[in-house]
Amino acid sequence: MFASLSRRRVILLVVLTCVLLITLDKRGNPVIDRARGIFSTLIMRPIDTATNTIVLPLERAWDGIMNYDDLKKERDALYDQVQHMRGDDVKAQTAILEAQELTRVYELSSALGYTSVIAQVVGFSPSNFQSIVEINVGSSLGVKVGMPVTDGAGLIGRITKVFPDHSIVLLATDPSYGIAAQILATPEEVAEAVANAPRPTTPPATTTTSTVPLPFDEPAIVTTTSSTTSTSTTTTLPQIIRETGALEGQGTGRPLVLRFTDSSSAVTSVREGSIVETAGGNSSLAPHGIPIGIVTRVVTETGSSNAVVEVTMNARLEYLNFVSVLLYEPNQNAVGR
Amino acid sequence: MPRILFGPALRILPIGLLALSLQRLVFANHPVNDVKLQFVLAVVVAAGAVGGPDRGAVVGFVLGLLYDLSGTTPLGLVALAYGLGGMAAGYVHNLVSEPQWWMGSVFAMFGAAIGEVSVPFLGQVIGDGGWITPQLAVQIPIVAVAAGLMSPALMPICRWMVGVKRKKWKVMVE
Repeated sequence: MFASLSRRRVILLVVLTCVLLITLDKRGNPVIDRARGIFSTLIMRPIDTATNTIVLPLERAWDGIMNYDDLKKERDALYDQVQHMRGDDVKAQTAILEAQELTRVYELSSALGYTSVIAQVVGFSPSNFQSIVEINVGSSLGVKVGMPVTDGAGLIGRITKVFPDHSIVLLATDPSYGIAAQILATPEEVAEAVANAPRPTTPPATTTTSTVPLPFDEPAIVTTTSSTTSTSTTTTLPQIIRETGALEGQGTGRPLVLRFTDSSSAVTSVREGSIVETAGGNSSLAPHGIPIGIVTRVVTETGSSNAVVEVTMNARLEYLNFVSVLLYEPNQNAVGR
Repeated sequence: MPRILFGPALRILPIGLLALSLQRLVFANHPVNDVKLQFVLAVVVAAGAVGGPDRGAVVGFVLGLLYDLSGTTPLGLVALAYGLGGMAAGYVHNLVSEPQWWMGSVFAMFGAAIGEVSVPFLGQVIGDGGWITPQLAVQIPIVAVAAGLMSPALMPICRWMVGVKRKKWKVMVE
């Protein structure tokens, strides 16, 4: 190749050429800049692309063989990280749900007009023959035996034992539980009664609106009452309270049963879908107006005027978490029953 | 004309471009102890080890020039450094006329060390300083050893590239 040149001349030529090129380039020769650009774009880029096409699979295979353990460790670490993130996500969602539940519990208890203590269910009955739960508030926060307990949907039971820092709640499904309850009209009946009510001519009626809470995710029932200020004409309110009776539990997973004080009058008037709430009164364990549930079945006993009215509770007792103890002190005679 | 076209001068270019491409795509992406192995330099010193100082210098010049063109170093800087490396590796032929592969490898290692260390020092001379650091003490041995290890595999290709054939010894029978 270099036969015509001696070794020293070749090396000298190389060195001198390099020095010349360096000098030209350092002085900012545009020809060299252009040559560099052409070389990079027109020559090296296609060659790099072709080389990459061949080398990349080999490189990946090599990496797969040589870095398998590292990749496995990295994958395991990432998997662990993903699991932690999922756990955090679940925690966050739980926190949101708990906040929503707390809000519902607080809203209901505050609507009743009594001071309440928010508590969390910390234990369930170990027996199949007891419907009780343990909550994490006790006498230190003013909780006393007999006080009604609600969750966001309605009444769930009453306090039966109180300790300084925890209490036992007898759930309404327990057969030993009983409370005075009243049945309200169904929403359709209310609407019908309002429509059929005589309309006063003068003076114009003043209208007040009250809301009856219902189970979760159901629209509240709005009962409208109207009255006039006139002394001569007064429109009577639709009678929304139907019957009063004693509501008793029938065991876990079964609906409550309502027994009427006046059995003869109940049969014809009670309809499925009617709202049941606490009746209140001196001898009652709970104040008036705590929603309990809705009538789901009315069965007339054969050969009798008595009817069996089954009430499904608003509260889902199997999913209890946050509850509210109403600091309402019932009549001590009623507590003892 | 055909002799020029198919001669060694033309074979250097494709080999050099391929080596440069591998350097940019493979060796630049897989540093060893934070040191990028120099495949182009390994080709240069292997060519020097099989072809002698003059061929090593020319191959180093051409491949170094390609290196300069593809990068941002002043044109001629790496060409000069690699030329020196190739020439240094070629001095193995001053010891023996047909060196063993391991001798070629040792001289390739030596040439690679010269070539690699020349880049920062020549840069310092022309005003592109700042690369003479203690890191060179790690960098130079790794590049040199890697070139020495690669050179036995590269020697047959380089022998074809620079147009050198193995000498055949014949026993004279009286």
